[in-house]
Amino acid sequence: MAFLLSLGRIIKFSFQDIIRNIWLSLITVMILILTLLSVNLLLAVRAISGAAVGTVKEKVDINLYLRTTAERDSIMALKARISSLSDVKEVRYVSQDEALSVFKRDHVNDPQIIEALRELDKNPLTPSLVIKPTNTDDFDNLINELNKIDDPIIESRNFEDNKLMLNKINAITQRISDVGFAVSLTFMFITLLVIYNTVRVAIYTHRNEIAIMRLVGASNWFIRGPFLVSSVIYSLVSMLVVIFAFFLFLNLLQPYLETFFTGYSFNIIAYFGGNFWAIFGLELLAASIVNMLASLVAAGKYSHV
Amino acid sequence: MIKLKNISKFYQPNVVAVDDISFHIKPGEFVSLVGQSGTGKTTLVKLLIGEERATRGELFVGGWNITKISQSDIPYLRRQIGVIFQDFKLLPKKTLLENVAFALQVCGKPMAKIKKIAPQVMKIVGLENKMNRYPHEVSGGEKQRTAIARSLVYQPKILLADEPTGNLDSINAQEIIDLLLKINSFGTTVVLVTHNRDIVNKLHRRVLTLHEGRLVSDQAVGKYII
Ligand SMILES: Nc1ncnc2c1ncn2[C@@H]1O[C@H](COP(=O)(O)OP(=O)(O)OP(=O)(O)O)[C@@H](O)[C@H]1O
Ligand SMILES: [Mg+2]
Repeated sequence: MAFLLSLGRIIKFSFQDIIRNIWLSLITVMILILTLLSVNLLLAVRAISGAAVGTVKEKVDINLYLRTTAERDSIMALKARISSLSDVKEVRYVSQDEALSVFKRDHVNDPQIIEALRELDKNPLTPSLVIKPTNTDDFDNLINELNKIDDPIIESRNFEDNKLMLNKINAITQRISDVGFAVSLTFMFITLLVIYNTVRVAIYTHRNEIAIMRLVGASNWFIRGPFLVSSVIYSLVSMLVVIFAFFLFLNLLQPYLETFFTGYSFNIIAYFGGNFWAIFGLELLAASIVNMLASLVAAGKYSHV
Repeated sequence: MIKLKNISKFYQPNVVAVDDISFHIKPGEFVSLVGQSGTGKTTLVKLLIGEERATRGELFVGGWNITKISQSDIPYLRRQIGVIFQDFKLLPKKTLLENVAFALQVCGKPMAKIKKIAPQVMKIVGLENKMNRYPHEVSGGEKQRTAIARSLVYQPKILLADEPTGNLDSINAQEIIDLLLKINSFGTTVVLVTHNRDIVNKLHRRVLTLHEGRLVSDQAVGKYII
């Protein structure tokens, strides 16, 4: 009961303190918002690139282009032989006709190519074997195996493209993550300084009250409590603003992602919504703890009157 | 009630504020502490309320050895000692009553108790008709009486007054001294730090005289000698 009473008063003092230094409070909240936004953008970048890597991996396959003259029997024999390799998940035979229809479908919006095709009187494409590796991260071994197969019906091999693409995405992702991490760290550091300074100024503004509180025997918790509560309030307010602004941003972003990830279901809003507490709850907790520590240090240092 | 055993206080190794002082003040006494500027009077007050730590010696307040007091016990010590200063230390944006109530609020007293105690102490200091005014709307003497009221909310056994009349004219000063005497008559031990020769001489009470950090005289019915 006495505890609740004191807590109530501490919270009241904290609000008075926030209002008395309203501009400083706003700046504090603003910098907290920037920090939290940068952290969440970093998370979003990671989620999106994770999904991008996923889609590319889905498409990772190795093509063996075959001669148009190849007999169906020898093709099937080759297919069987490749299927038996340990690193192969699946082998699919794409006939010449199938290749053509897929090509036409992919270029349906490109009248010049369609026109050029029509002018050719025969199918320019070759049949192929599409091989899916079991492990999409590392299929060097499989490529070695495939290189060893020397069948006359093989016209050409296309091994590297997808791997390059994956490496590229991984590199870009790593780069963005590193930069994002550095930016977030910088913001966190600035936040620490700002919170520390805010509490310092708040203590300065309240120096008379604090002196009197000490004089009449108020406990340390009563003197420092309001600054702790203030830093939790700052964290809470900025977290709420960030959640609101961030979902607004995600809503604008989602249509672009949908065109980018056609045929692959990825919803960034659902991602953040599904992990709401794990992401925002944890961020709030972390922000509050860090801010409380900063204000405790400031209060400990400056509230001895 | 207050006992000093060979107390010394050095601010820096070479600034000696209090030099090997011993005395004993019994419960219910009214003691004046006099001496020139910079002789360590305020330092003694700070030692008594735990704001400064003695460099040497032992200090007892109400049987409590406060040379070894822990930081977390200091608030409890302060609730047993009322302190007033020359500059009143009132909050300008609170009424006199709110200033008194503040002392109770920040120590977690329930509202019902605050509503009872605050007007009571305002009545003791004779301000029951002005308690809703702000500090800038009352005289210096009335401000000091408010500070005294605030120092009384925990019914302290000791009241330390560090030059309480320093900012007041002689009429207001005399009123404050009369109030301190009244509080003393209820049984509270009063230590009055003052520069005011007339006041000390009129009191006919015990006088401790400091000079350059040392206790140079302790008279049961004293005069202002320096
Ligand atoms: N915080 C401090 N740091 C260093 N020296 C100090 C400090 N406080 C006081 N002193 C020195 O200690 C000595 C005693 O100071 P104190 O304030 O106790 O004197 P006083 O008797 O109260 O004087 P006054 O009558 O002017 O109020 C002085 O020489 C003063 O300069
Ligand atoms: Mg002094």
